[in-house]
Amino acid sequence: MTLIDVSGLVTGYGNGSPALSGVTFALGEGQALAVLGPNGGGKTTLLRVLLGELPVLAGSCRVAGRPAYVAQSGRARLDFPVSALDVVLMGAYARTPAWRRLRRAERTRAHAMLERVGMDAQAGQRFGALSGGQRQRVLIARALLQDAPLLLLDEPFTGVDRTSEAGLLSILDELRAEGRGLLVSTHDIEHARRWDLVLCVNGAQVAFGPPADALTAHALHATYGEEMVSIDGETVAVHSHGCG
Amino acid sequence: MDPFSTPYMQRALLAVVLLAIAGGLFGAWIALRRLAFFTHAVGTATFPGLVIAGPAGIAAPVAALGAALVYTAGLARLLRDGRLGADAATGLLLVAALAIGSILAGDVFEAGAGVDRLLFGTLLGLSDTDLWLAGAVAALAVACTALAGRTWLATGFDPGGARALGVRSGLGDWLLLAMLALAVVAALPAVGALLVSTLLVVPSATARLLASSMRGLLGGGVALALGEGIGGLWLADAVNLPPGPAIAVLGGAVFGVVALARAAA
Repeated sequence: MTLIDVSGLVTGYGNGSPALSGVTFALGEGQALAVLGPNGGGKTTLLRVLLGELPVLAGSCRVAGRPAYVAQSGRARLDFPVSALDVVLMGAYARTPAWRRLRRAERTRAHAMLERVGMDAQAGQRFGALSGGQRQRVLIARALLQDAPLLLLDEPFTGVDRTSEAGLLSILDELRAEGRGLLVSTHDIEHARRWDLVLCVNGAQVAFGPPADALTAHALHATYGEEMVSIDGETVAVHSHGCG
Repeated sequence: MDPFSTPYMQRALLAVVLLAIAGGLFGAWIALRRLAFFTHAVGTATFPGLVIAGPAGIAAPVAALGAALVYTAGLARLLRDGRLGADAATGLLLVAALAIGSILAGDVFEAGAGVDRLLFGTLLGLSDTDLWLAGAVAALAVACTALAGRTWLATGFDPGGARALGVRSGLGDWLLLAMLALAVVAALPAVGALLVSTLLVVPSATARLLASSMRGLLGGGVALALGEGIGGLWLADAVNLPPGPAIAVLGGAVFGVVALARAAA
């Protein structure tokens, strides 16, 4: 089943000029797609149009069901008096009428999702007191509680140490194996190489396909331009903080 | 002698209890959503409405609420443009509201428009309408926190992710600002525009220093607002102070002590 089908997409922020154009790709069940690009290149713009927050100015953009969104954990308000469990339970808000309390079954499931990402022992801890990698795992547990077939992850490895990164990658591999679609925006070319598909964007689509086809020197140069450097024969992207 | 034996003190006590429930519950969202300046400003921005109320034959609370909602809508419009920060937009519109009110009061209607009462309120001279309005706002605070609390929490916690959770953030934000405007209008007769933060901001700001959960913040805010409100009334009677400022001083002192204790811990 196709989870995302985008063709000739042009989208923007309402000031008339498109922020991202010429995007054509599809993502099916059990596939993981890396969206690679520089700051301001349109990665977050693509996620926002897939979430229905930005208009489709031209082309088409079809998404099966409501995707779950995993924002960068640093963008959440870390000073809120909410526990890891409270955050995960937000994943049940959409299916719980406003006048009803969250059911006990939802709490049980929320614990199960935390267990799944290895965070149930920290269920009662304040979200803001967790490490970057732990917060990211909690946000993934929240997305799992939504039971969405498609997860959109916005630079999930930003501010995450190497150990936590390995844990996160393992969780994402599991989700892919069970048939969920993953769309992961990233700066990291090495991360992009491990997914099924790569979409390179820099204001417009530069390349799309399996990593071996999409991550060519030409495509990377067109994606990153001056931000590319070569270290020990490996081409890497140099970027500043923030997102595009 | 029991300070609450007289009818006017009993009415003041009832008003404080009702406004404390509203203040403690809405105050939690004010503290979390960083709306303290808005809360202060929207009270003062009722000034032109109150000036017009008398000559136009409109009930003062209705005119005040109208002005507060116009102010809120204008602020939402300015923020949608994104060119001004929230504080700058709030301050800009506040100055505009005060200027319009001053011109209307001085040059058009040539009336004082009860400016003293607008600024400081009078807990000891509340009308039945004031009490009914306070009761309605307390009931709305309970209902809205129960029905919209999850929306307000998810939107405030993670604005970028709230919509993907199926939360109607835009509608929720409108409801929150409108409810705060209404709560401020209800508190004006009791504590006035200058001290409206006494009941709507200070108790929850203090509770926030201590609370580790939403339940703690909401419950703590209500408990502190009740304690400070009733304690302030008692203090006002004991040392012959105006009640509004007495509650404000007590609330400020409690905040200071809690903040110092936390810093020392």
